[in-house]
Amino acid sequence: MKNIYNSLIAICIVTIFVSCNDELTKEPIGLLTLDQIDTTPTITTLESSVSSSYQLLASTLNLIGEWNWDGGAVLRNDFILQDIAANDMNKKWNPDGDQAWMDELSAFSFTPDNGAFNGIWLYDYEGINRINLAISYLTNPEVTQEVGIADARKNQLLGEAYFLRAFYYFDLVNNFGDVPLLTVPLKSFEEAFDVAVRVPSTEIWIQINSDLTEAKTLLPNVKYPDPSEPWRASKGAVIALQAKAALFNEDWTSVISLVNELDALGFYSLNANYFDSFDVTKEFVDNEVIFAYDHVSDQNPRKGNGLCALIGWGFIAPNEDFINAFEPNDPRLLYTVDVANQNVSKLLGNTVGDYKGNDDAPSNKIYIRYADVLLWKAEALNETGDYPGAIAIINQVRTRARTTPTADGSMVPIGTLADRPSSTDSAQIKGWLMSERRVELGFESQRFNDLKRWGTAKSVLTGLGKNFQDKNYLYPIPQGEVDKSGGTITQNPDY
Amino acid sequence: MKRRIIYNLYFIGFMLFGSALNAQTVTGIVTDNNGPIPGVNVIIKGTSSGTATDFDGNYTLDNVATNSVLVFSMIGYSTQEVNFNGQSQINITLLEDMQALDEVVLVGYSSRKKSTLTGAVSVVDMGDLEKTRVVNVTQALQGQIAGVQVTSSTGAPGDPIEVRIRGLGTIGDNNPLYVVDGIPTRDINFLNQADIKSMTVLKDASAAAIYGSRASGGVVLITTKSGNEGKISFDVNYFTGLHYASNLPNMLNAEQYMNTVEKAWNNSDRTGTNPYTADKGRADFSNTDWLDELFETGKSQNLQFTASGGSDKVQFLMSLGYYGQDGIVIFDNDKYKRLSYRTNLNVDLTDRLKIGTNLQLTYATQDKLSSKGDAPGIIRHALLRPPVIGVYKDVNDPTYSQRDPFTDLPFYVNNDRDNGGWESDKYEWSQNPIALAYFTDDVRKDFRTFGNIYAEYSFLKDKELTFRTNVGVDLSFIHNKTFNENFGDDDGGGNATDQGLGRQNRPNNLSEERGEARTITFNNTLNYVKTFSDKHDISALIGMEYIDNYSSSIGASRARFDNTDSTFRYIDYGATEADLWNGGSASEWALFSYFGSASYVFDSKYMVTANMRADASSRFSEKNRWGYFPSISAGWKISDEAFLKDVKWLSNLKLRAGWGKLGNQEIDNYAFLTLISQTDGKVVVNRYGNEDLKWESSESTNIGFDAGFLNNKLTFSAEYYVKNTSDILLPIGLPSIVGDVSPTIVNAGEVSNKGFEFSLNYRESSKEFQYSINANLGTVVNNVEKLHPNVPNLVGEVTRTQVGQPLNAYYGYKMIGIYQNQTEIDSHLSGTLNPSVKPGDIKFEDINNDGIINSDDRKFLGSSIPDLTYGISFSSSYKNFDFSFLFQGVEGVDRYNDSKKILDYDTRPFNYTTNILGAWDGEGTSNTIPRVAFEDNGSSKVSSIFVEDASYLRLKNVELGYTINGITGVQNIRLYVSGQNLFTATKYTGMDPESTDLMDRGTYPSSSSVLFGLNVKF
Repeated sequence: MKNIYNSLIAICIVTIFVSCNDELTKEPIGLLTLDQIDTTPTITTLESSVSSSYQLLASTLNLIGEWNWDGGAVLRNDFILQDIAANDMNKKWNPDGDQAWMDELSAFSFTPDNGAFNGIWLYDYEGINRINLAISYLTNPEVTQEVGIADARKNQLLGEAYFLRAFYYFDLVNNFGDVPLLTVPLKSFEEAFDVAVRVPSTEIWIQINSDLTEAKTLLPNVKYPDPSEPWRASKGAVIALQAKAALFNEDWTSVISLVNELDALGFYSLNANYFDSFDVTKEFVDNEVIFAYDHVSDQNPRKGNGLCALIGWGFIAPNEDFINAFEPNDPRLLYTVDVANQNVSKLLGNTVGDYKGNDDAPSNKIYIRYADVLLWKAEALNETGDYPGAIAIINQVRTRARTTPTADGSMVPIGTLADRPSSTDSAQIKGWLMSERRVELGFESQRFNDLKRWGTAKSVLTGLGKNFQDKNYLYPIPQGEVDKSGGTITQNPDY
Repeated sequence: MKRRIIYNLYFIGFMLFGSALNAQTVTGIVTDNNGPIPGVNVIIKGTSSGTATDFDGNYTLDNVATNSVLVFSMIGYSTQEVNFNGQSQINITLLEDMQALDEVVLVGYSSRKKSTLTGAVSVVDMGDLEKTRVVNVTQALQGQIAGVQVTSSTGAPGDPIEVRIRGLGTIGDNNPLYVVDGIPTRDINFLNQADIKSMTVLKDASAAAIYGSRASGGVVLITTKSGNEGKISFDVNYFTGLHYASNLPNMLNAEQYMNTVEKAWNNSDRTGTNPYTADKGRADFSNTDWLDELFETGKSQNLQFTASGGSDKVQFLMSLGYYGQDGIVIFDNDKYKRLSYRTNLNVDLTDRLKIGTNLQLTYATQDKLSSKGDAPGIIRHALLRPPVIGVYKDVNDPTYSQRDPFTDLPFYVNNDRDNGGWESDKYEWSQNPIALAYFTDDVRKDFRTFGNIYAEYSFLKDKELTFRTNVGVDLSFIHNKTFNENFGDDDGGGNATDQGLGRQNRPNNLSEERGEARTITFNNTLNYVKTFSDKHDISALIGMEYIDNYSSSIGASRARFDNTDSTFRYIDYGATEADLWNGGSASEWALFSYFGSASYVFDSKYMVTANMRADASSRFSEKNRWGYFPSISAGWKISDEAFLKDVKWLSNLKLRAGWGKLGNQEIDNYAFLTLISQTDGKVVVNRYGNEDLKWESSESTNIGFDAGFLNNKLTFSAEYYVKNTSDILLPIGLPSIVGDVSPTIVNAGEVSNKGFEFSLNYRESSKEFQYSINANLGTVVNNVEKLHPNVPNLVGEVTRTQVGQPLNAYYGYKMIGIYQNQTEIDSHLSGTLNPSVKPGDIKFEDINNDGIINSDDRKFLGSSIPDLTYGISFSSSYKNFDFSFLFQGVEGVDRYNDSKKILDYDTRPFNYTTNILGAWDGEGTSNTIPRVAFEDNGSSKVSSIFVEDASYLRLKNVELGYTINGITGVQNIRLYVSGQNLFTATKYTGMDPESTDLMDRGTYPSSSSVLFGLNVKF
């Protein structure tokens, strides 16, 4: 009996000391570790890493923000930082207290806490991080050999990735000046704090230019590198962005030579009809659009244009001053905004108010189009003393505008948008160029950058009664970012 | 064998026959030193027949066989046995038993006598709790124990309850661990209060260390009732209640509203004629009191049936409970129903082997509304919707339909802006809360199975060594189903196909989700208890525990249902061409532990206890997997020393001190790994992992004493504790330059909590008027001692966590008044960077005196953690009447009343509370309420104007009962009427000071209620 007892006790003690160490290792469900990607990469991983880097250019709602309005993250907010800030655009048709942070931007009464800055910063850097991941895979020979991706495809994807990285940094450097520079994926979270320092803007420009040079060599000499996916960045887009970068650095001769290089490709020209660049039915079959984000309805995950929903909610209206900037009968006004029906046609992609209020609209977001590029060249020609060349381009743009039938179908009266006469007054020509850009590119999120480039932001905006200060030539670094870095990311002066 | 059974049957038959022959009736009276005692159990030993004494101590027992033994027992008295030799009357005097009063307290895997406890352990008096009519068992802890704060997150039926033991120890999860019949769980929503026998709260580390890794938020041990040897008893409890909203703010009526918006328009930079002046007295205006329209009288019903009893070998308890409540919001879409079933069984198979099971099945259904100001926010919209809009449309309105008769956009006719259009610009977009309540169909169902099965075997001569093995299962099947029916006015937008359907939920859609979660717990303990030489009490325990959790879910949604009847609200009947979604995922974790405990008591005077637990968690990498959690505590019963023995008035005095370390692992799974998600054609880093991640630990020191006076009629306990949490599992939001990633979890930061706790209990049970008073009070000083070097503060929407401040302290601009005139503005603000400010705007403190109000002028504005929590309860009986009440309150706590922002100070023409009638309206009119305007008056800033004192004192419960005795076949019947939340004293102007949200956006208020009940015991 005693033996049975003892063995029972022994069994009980053994039961108590069983071990379950294997049971404590749980594989993550639905997520990959870094090792898994490096050791077992797939072609889909590579393809998706690049295509998902485009997403941050979309106007799709809640890609990252989940209705975080105050944090400015519900959708990409170029329209606030450019068009509303430049006071071409009003927040709403009827002023109210909704989304007061947008009003603060318009009034230049904002603080670094304003969600607009956080929003664009987050979107741009999220894009950069996705690209850095993509570039790290595509430049890792072990990964590319393992999945067996064709060299041509690899180069194309890599070219797109370098272009996109340059595109996002271009936006950051113009908005904020010196910004942190990340070009490789983080190896550990601690590195996030190491890279949380602002790098002089000159270095950012060097990075932009080197990425674009790289992209140019990698991308093929065709209009659409992949005709089945015409939305992908092309060599034309790369050259155009190079020209734009040169323009923003006032490197006029490079602007001219790069636009000539783009012309030499023979892919782009002005559309006969001004609205064709925006018309939802003409996407990727027109001649003018060089780079756009391809919005598509009814996709899962969503790829639609959410800005149309905001238009339906009464957002996005023209400022009186903007409307007055158009010369009489300029057909571009009605194509930009139909005041009577409160339709922002250019952004809706049609002139009859379709998609207004639709949070999943198909109308593309146009980033670079040929008319914009031409006007850069005109500006460069004027700066380098080629006045007839500059005026010729301005008139080319005006001719296209006045020969476009108005949105209601009639032709404009004779004398509308008459050609600019010849002139050797550089300042006068620049004045023409400035007004031409404003009306030609209205609501295309170019205006505030233009005002800053020209150094006229203060005079123009204070003239409109806004509290623009010299410090506002750069936006403040988002306050949360200064806070989260523990102060290693410093604030711009006077904020 | 067969033969043996037959013999047994024969024997039983003989016994029955025999008893019938010699049976007779016995009567008597049971008394103690003070007189008759009601409720004493009188049973015939070895049988299940018996009775209890009535109010005057009398009993009558029929069919008592000669030579049987009568057993008289009652808690607090020594049990007496009397041989029955045919006497017709047996009168008994019971002796109070101090030893019996020394209840046995469950301390985790084993029990201790209360008198030998050395840690901070509080036992909840279930006698008092029987008179607290709560739905969720945790609510019964409210106001009962010093240092335990219990709050309802909202007043909506079925919404969660928050329990905080000794302040907030960490930035992460502060929820206590519940251990029900030995099985740990994080949620005890499923329990039925009537099934609970006892609740023990382990407050400090020396007591809770046996639960090591998950005990840093404190531990609540719950034991469910089991049957007793003796007569089978039946208990039926029914109550029904009426619930109504109280403490509602006063809103402007239509006339006051029009005057206010007229003024706001005049105060703003607007040109043209004031549209509100013209609108005054419009024929199509209503005068709607939206709060009055929204709230109705709610109803609740509770039915509880319990049967219990058993023989000396087998004891059972079965219970069935139903609770149903239709909340205080109009229509039936805020209902909560719970059906619970329990069976508990204990069987002594042999003298040494015991097995048993406790099993609970609960089916709960919650019709959920947006109860927290969360979108769409029914309560919020009832507050802000202008009173000039009616509830229902005029039947002649072309947009009226029988299906959707509710108003939506203000004065909307035909979606035709040019011909009157809708006037959202003037009366702002808001939603009709009545329509929201009507159309909401969001049902959450949870079918939960929770139980355990155990076996216990005792070894050695005196059964000193006990082996216990216990398997627990916690299964939860969740089903959430939401049908979003479209309603409201069409604002002309949307896909062409969906136009004209109304702006809400366009197109209609259904989403369903089903989930399952299972947790298996397996624990084994070996427990040794022995007393040597009458003076040395030794107990020792070793054990292991393995917990494995797996949960998964699957869901789908479709839109554009042609038919929206309830019989068509299933996935199959939605359109298949667009807007379909489905999804599903899973997660799992495991925990493996060894633990041990030893205690030694000498002469019942000196006692020492040590605990140790080692835990390994799947949530940490292999190198940091194990965490070790030791504790030690000691006690000295001074009152038993010779020098105090003769002090008659002092019945007990014990000093206690303890130290221990606890852990926390409540973080996401796999947080130590860098993980990349690859879904939807997206390859993105989900989170950067932290390979060095390890256990959060909290060390606490506790000293205290227990004293009893006048034969323990008056008892008093006091504690002082210091709890320091370090290596806090802190999610740090990396700078966005690394993209949109989840915060990385690091071990950083330290938080300290210090406080005193006092509880006082006075019990007078010897007189005809019996009563007891219990008062308790806990203080806490919470302080952040350290944070991550890269994260000097954690920024919330209106809060900031920073070293030297309590967790989640409110942070923003400090209001110092209202600008009375331009001169005052000019002298206060000199910088050109200030946005335009007008007289009547809020004046903020310019902390750095630079003449500019900017982010440098923010400071800490208040604490969201109460300094003081307290409760006072009283219970009494006189003859057949009983009466009890409970007051509960908190002091020294602030809350950010965000609903005030959108009501009183918003720049949109929403409705206002009547406070706004005192708004600044010219020099000297107000220095507290800014001017009304459709432009910013300073209220867009996070400022002290919204930080309010949320201290309160609430009459949680008051109950009056009457007991009827003497009905044949019935032990007693008790009738009662009970009131809940009948009275609240607070300065807080929001809906409910008890709500736990850091930002109050207009929560579903907790209701006041009156209940009528009936309790029958057989």
